[in-house]
Amino acid sequence: MRSFTQECLDAAVAAGATYADVRVTDSRTQALSVRNGVVEGVSSGSSFGFGVRVVADGAWGFAASSEVTSDSAARVAKQAVAIARASATVGARPIVLSPLEPHTGRWSGPCVIDPFSVSTEDKLALLFDADEAMRAQSGIGLATGSMSFLQERKTFASSEGAFIEQDWVESSTGIACYAIGDGDVVTRSYPNSHGGACFQGGWETIVALDLAGNAPRIAGQAVELLGAPLCPADTTTLILDGSQLALQVHESVGHPTELDRVLGDEAAFAGTSWVAPGDLDTLRYGSPVVNITADATVSGSLGSFGYDDEGVPARREDIVREGILAGFLSSRESAAAIGRESSGAMRADGWARTPLVRMTTVSLEPGDAGTLADLIADTDSGVYMETNESWSIDDRRLNFQFGCEIGWEIKNGTRGRMLRNPVYTGITPEFWGACDAVCSRSEWRVWGLDNCGKGEPMQVAHVAHGAAPARFRNVRIGVGR
Amino acid sequence: MIDTTRGRALATEAVAFALASGAEQAEALVAASDHALTRFAGNRIHQNMSSEDTEISVRAVIGTKIGVASTNRVDPQGLEDCCGAAAEAARLAPEDPSFPGLPAPRDGEHADRVSASTLEFDAARRAEAVSAMVAASTETGAIAAGGVARDHSVLAIANSLGTDVAMTRTTVRATVLSTGAAGGTGWASFSGRDASGLDAAALGTMAADTARRSADPLELDAGAYTVVLAPEAVADIAQFIAWYGCSIKSVEEGRSFMNGKLGQRVTSPLITLVDDALRASATGLTFDYEGQPKTRVALIDAGIAASPVTDSYWAARTGRPNTGHALPAPNSQGPLPLDVAIEAGDAKASALIASVKRGIYVTRFHYVNIEDPTRVTLTGMTRNGTFLIENGELTRPVKDLRFTQPALEALDTTLGVSAYRQLVGEDGGAFVPYLLLERFTFTGRTA
Repeated sequence: MRSFTQECLDAAVAAGATYADVRVTDSRTQALSVRNGVVEGVSSGSSFGFGVRVVADGAWGFAASSEVTSDSAARVAKQAVAIARASATVGARPIVLSPLEPHTGRWSGPCVIDPFSVSTEDKLALLFDADEAMRAQSGIGLATGSMSFLQERKTFASSEGAFIEQDWVESSTGIACYAIGDGDVVTRSYPNSHGGACFQGGWETIVALDLAGNAPRIAGQAVELLGAPLCPADTTTLILDGSQLALQVHESVGHPTELDRVLGDEAAFAGTSWVAPGDLDTLRYGSPVVNITADATVSGSLGSFGYDDEGVPARREDIVREGILAGFLSSRESAAAIGRESSGAMRADGWARTPLVRMTTVSLEPGDAGTLADLIADTDSGVYMETNESWSIDDRRLNFQFGCEIGWEIKNGTRGRMLRNPVYTGITPEFWGACDAVCSRSEWRVWGLDNCGKGEPMQVAHVAHGAAPARFRNVRIGVGR
Repeated sequence: MIDTTRGRALATEAVAFALASGAEQAEALVAASDHALTRFAGNRIHQNMSSEDTEISVRAVIGTKIGVASTNRVDPQGLEDCCGAAAEAARLAPEDPSFPGLPAPRDGEHADRVSASTLEFDAARRAEAVSAMVAASTETGAIAAGGVARDHSVLAIANSLGTDVAMTRTTVRATVLSTGAAGGTGWASFSGRDASGLDAAALGTMAADTARRSADPLELDAGAYTVVLAPEAVADIAQFIAWYGCSIKSVEEGRSFMNGKLGQRVTSPLITLVDDALRASATGLTFDYEGQPKTRVALIDAGIAASPVTDSYWAARTGRPNTGHALPAPNSQGPLPLDVAIEAGDAKASALIASVKRGIYVTRFHYVNIEDPTRVTLTGMTRNGTFLIENGELTRPVKDLRFTQPALEALDTTLGVSAYRQLVGEDGGAFVPYLLLERFTFTGRTA
């Protein structure tokens, strides 16, 4: 592969590039799904290709192809340079990249049991067992289960001398059941909604989830939910479980601290940010118990790698420290624009896309509030919500509204009656400013998200968030009731 | 990039490989794409890309067992490996007694939807368009961001029962967001088949003008308001209703608003929501991902819940006709309407605004999501041009608002539909008018 990447770089430089990098990715996937005892799909896929990114005439160009040959190396590199020269005709200004010592290295993600070596029968058996256990509950009208696996090998080389090879495996699975009544439908999922839990790792991560063992619990909850009262409209104390907090961190901290958004590069599509570059080290983002980090070195996390797609080594950085904005997710170009070094967060969705600033493992660090039971016991009145159902946030990442699958009243320190369709809304700094307790490390875990959309053409990133349950005061719930 | 002749040949070759690998029936989809996008922000081009790919996906059937495999290695060895993987997956899959087999070919006209000007819309021409879009913003001290995308694609489908269809398409989409020095924002967009239809300077002027008028917004209280929704905002509502409620699968599974409501009124009689890939200006495919011809389906007909869309599997299962709305296999979503339109009314957009004593004009929504599928309860934010309407005129910009609203209930209060319609979005997109709704509920606003 080194000779191919060098051909690309040589051709780009010969065509006039002042900087060039090339990524070659080779990926393999498998997906299985079942629904009400029937296989809905068994599929596999592979994709192989390369992309060349250049600076020429002081502007960016990128071209990519699935023809990985010497001929196409030269053709695509020249095309990238021609595109860069077209870019330079509209408002070009010199591109400055933060300094980087070029690295040569290899990195592999964790994997104990290669999921591609496990038989399709064994995978389906696990899903069917859970499916059967959900449908054993009277009142469940629909049960679903899915599983997917990814293996990716990536080579990165740059005209600065970097040459990096990385490979990893991802595994994900989830089950869901639906109780359907007269004009209403409720859902319960395990271990998370929107496809389940995702890990960097192998078959061992799937088996550890015990889908069938958890199926009766969520099925029972779904049926009970159908007859539960709607979450009332109120302003009250809210406790969120770790999985919902993961998405709350994602939408209201992760995205607004992506430095390309802050600088306006995503303004027309995903939006901008309520945070400005000058807010660093001064802006109060949340209460003093709010500590948020970006860490691409967490083993087994979907947000981990050895090097980002600019060849920057993985690292851990503070984003919010004791409630104060302390850092950004950044690239070499965006970091240089504010006089800093890259945080190592440039990631591309496959060979055909140019890298963007993306999240890594962006986590709410654990606090000292003990277990979830301790936190509920410490709460006089409020609502506890679990598992995301819907999400929406404005284009500056301020006004958000989330729906959860299930809620419970909290009264006098105990979990009370179940609540259907719980929804809450807020404004980002007010919400995080009202966080007065985060559970301890024993409750903290990493939640993978494999559906983070950003950029045009749309890119889907695999990221993750660590979180433990946390409490927020004076939150508006039951919106629209 | 390959043409339709080569696409057809590859698909036919793959079907033969799959049958030789032990499949009793086989289907192959060949999708080739040449995609280019020039993005700009801060009045400069900051991302500019082009990519080309050819992918083949094979569905192998043994009895009622199905396996699917895909690859972008389209040399003979790559095809053979892919077809072998699909057949192997079918062998290992359990039987699905409800699978009716692959569909037999059906007649349909599938003319290419290609524009020569779009094929010639290279990086230099896209940069010229960006320059024209940015000009109005730079002249007024505003900052422009957006993109100009050009797609050229081929899809060929063959199956072992004789299906052999192919189509080439081109599409162009241009967007511009202008942010004025005083903080107001404005938006304009174009979607179509033909790049020569793009008036980049006019888009830039529209966005910059809206940005200028959006400065110093008023903070309105939450509540129910009369609204005029521009086509970008209407597109979100139309697509959520169609995608979540108008598939036979969601109906059969009890997750659709159509459950128990077919033949009953669900919106104002002024609303006719259709899926129609056959209309002259459409950019989508005229066959579905099984190669079956798409038909025009009235989803909501003059306010009456009329019909969901189907594919071969769900048509056989429910006894309904196959409307030609299959997605690529394996498909856990069921058939989907991808070429949504709301039929035109007879009003001018300006007349809809002029008829409102007090209300809100919405240019577009942001980050819309569904909270309750059976009622199609949506939430989202307004964005890039929200104005107070007073006595028939847009008088003041309004700080962006969050809505939480059952979509059908909002459409049940429709008072007017414009004659003008705009194609919004990518792929099939949505072809929709301005709507005047008597009651639309806003539940909060941004900070």
